[in-house]
Amino acid sequence: MRTMNVDSRGTACPGPITDLIRAYKKAENGDIIVLIANDPGAVPDSKAWCEQTKNVFVGSKDMEDYFEITIQVAGKRL
Amino acid sequence: MKKIAIIGNGVGGLITSSKLAKDLAKEIKSGEVSIMLFDKKTEQEFQPGNLDVAFRGTDPSKMRRPVEKLVYDGVKIIHDNCEKVDLPNRYLKTEGNDEKIDFDYIIISTGSSPDYDQIPGLRDANMDFHTNAYTSSLIYQKILKIKSGRIVVGIGGLPYKCPPSPNESAFMLDEHFRKAGIRDKVEITYITPFTRIYSADSINEVIEPIYKARSIESITAFNTDSVDATKKEITSLEGETIKYDYLFLTPPHKPADFLKNSGFSDEDGWVKTDKRNLHITDYDYGFAIGDTTNIPISKAGVEAHLEGIVVANNIISEIQGTGKRYKFTGRTQCSMETGFHKATFVVGTYDTPVQKIPPSTFNYMEKKVMEKIYWESLHGQYEWLFKYHFKKDYFED
Repeated sequence: MRTMNVDSRGTACPGPITDLIRAYKKAENGDIIVLIANDPGAVPDSKAWCEQTKNVFVGSKDMEDYFEITIQVAGKRL
Repeated sequence: MKKIAIIGNGVGGLITSSKLAKDLAKEIKSGEVSIMLFDKKTEQEFQPGNLDVAFRGTDPSKMRRPVEKLVYDGVKIIHDNCEKVDLPNRYLKTEGNDEKIDFDYIIISTGSSPDYDQIPGLRDANMDFHTNAYTSSLIYQKILKIKSGRIVVGIGGLPYKCPPSPNESAFMLDEHFRKAGIRDKVEITYITPFTRIYSADSINEVIEPIYKARSIESITAFNTDSVDATKKEITSLEGETIKYDYLFLTPPHKPADFLKNSGFSDEDGWVKTDKRNLHITDYDYGFAIGDTTNIPISKAGVEAHLEGIVVANNIISEIQGTGKRYKFTGRTQCSMETGFHKATFVVGTYDTPVQKIPPSTFNYMEKKVMEKIYWESLHGQYEWLFKYHFKKDYFED
């Protein structure tokens, strides 16, 4: 299991979700993706994406200047 | 003498070289400035026109022009591809050539191209309307033979250039089969890795009702992993499968190969570029524009155009000592044809979210005007029109 840090600060939709999907393509089940973004839409978008792809939305934190979104990869076929 | 090297003779490279050559004509004539444009390609293509070639049968030769005819006087064309750029030492090398070519300024505008290796099986199965006018022309002949079945269109992977084009392909296929009177025999399914039909919510609100009205099915959050051309089946990273009879996916794209491990690119090879001043990392004499950058905006010709003008203005200002500095606002303006002579536009900047613009015939006509003036604009003409249209987004000082 590894942690992948994705910095999408300064990008607006679809920047953060694009970065998330590109990281996800390289990830394996069990990996953690930590996405940081200052576009407020990144939180609901990531949540919706996790629901639709059966990955785990671990949570999000408001860090004042940006949001830190944590996702566990679980949806990939074995 | 100040040597300006431009790598890539696509939209960005041509517009930037024309702007530089036009405004530095006196300096070029006196031998104070030289402009070199590197690229093996001898023809330039109007890529948005590939949609019309593939889905309406437009003559592909109308979408191409020889580069020689588009280059402004004073620009030296070098028909070689770049193999290496050494930014700290200010030299480059072309393919298979050991000679070091010095530069004072460099602009990397090498674009992006399909990366079929990312998705096994896609190359053989796909009808790629997106990449080449002549291939698009062959696809039109195949479309004419389709009488029934399931068509799958959409986004094959990220990133890709021309964000609206997968949606446009769905709308144009719908139009084609309606006009042919066989729409009820053809199923059209749109797939996307995003959670909406169009990634930006405002545009999604515009086009989602059109998908419903035209009976175009959509499958969101579908991350294409592989394609089996024999079984005619697409499989997602999550293991879901979709059957198709005809496949029209927009492939993921990659930057020029020499950029990977260049020292100034990210792990995939996209050039690390400041989104405002367009400097490559910390080099104030190195610039990147267009698809080749890692700037998180659309990979589209309009970006290459507007970024090229900003970069050219800053180089001109430095050479002429005016002290002015210009910045890119992140302006995008991508047309999206919704079929039956209507279009919307995806318009936004770094600081203003994408607007909701209803489809109209007027928008479609604006798109067609751009097609008419495209070739002259590469040659530095119609600058007054772009200044008027984009206002402060043309460049910000």
